[in-house]
Amino acid sequence: MADDDSAVEGAEPAWKRDFPYEAAAEEEVTRREFARYLVLGTGALAIGNIGLAAWTQLRRVAGGEPRAIVALADLPIGATHLFRYPTEADPAVMLRVSEDQFVAFSQKCTHLGCVVYHQPERDRWHCPCHKGDFDAISGAVLSGPPTRPLDQIVLEVRPDGFVWALGREVKA
Amino acid sequence: MRVSPRGRQSSSAVLIYLIVLMSLQLFLITVAAEAWLTDEAALAWSTAAVSVVLFGCAAAFLRYLRP
Ligand code: FES
Repeated sequence: MADDDSAVEGAEPAWKRDFPYEAAAEEEVTRREFARYLVLGTGALAIGNIGLAAWTQLRRVAGGEPRAIVALADLPIGATHLFRYPTEADPAVMLRVSEDQFVAFSQKCTHLGCVVYHQPERDRWHCPCHKGDFDAISGAVLSGPPTRPLDQIVLEVRPDGFVWALGREVKA
Repeated sequence: MRVSPRGRQSSSAVLIYLIVLMSLQLFLITVAAEAWLTDEAALAWSTAAVSVVLFGCAAAFLRYLRP
């Protein structure tokens, strides 16, 4: 009788009808497997979160080394100069305010990291992503979603006729 | 070895908890990415801490699921 049943292609074997406990166990194993994948997924995301936190921390401590940025003669009053500081991955911008006043800021908007640019007619740094505005001289937030001023690059005009960047200052 | 309806219900509940925890982890990774974009190290670390706690909860649920 049992042999006849198992001979049919695709039919449930007779032993499974007699001892049906296997079916329930199989389903449970599948559930457990799925749960294990979920736990592994949350573990991977937790590791990703730790990695991002460490990366964020390390980027913050990179203040930068003193470096000549631009010759005084190459930057007229009211003009801006794009450069990268403290690393090649950090876009920054310098503005010559007057004969002997220069300011420079990180170009990264403190809201979500878009690039800010100078609007001379409004005398401010503007972020086009969500219309954030920063004061041209101090980098303080004037309007929009940012809550923190632009990171400032400390500058010095040296006797060699160059403007030097001395370090990056992260403002609270 | 047959699984009772009650046991099946509780393992379904555990699965739902795990799916909720996974969703929270996905949300937290977006918060961490935002913290990375805005250089907010304090926010990034607290997000990582919550994420590790959620992972611990998920692992505990997995133990509970074992027969
Ligand atoms: S990224 Fe600059 S205002 Fe949102």
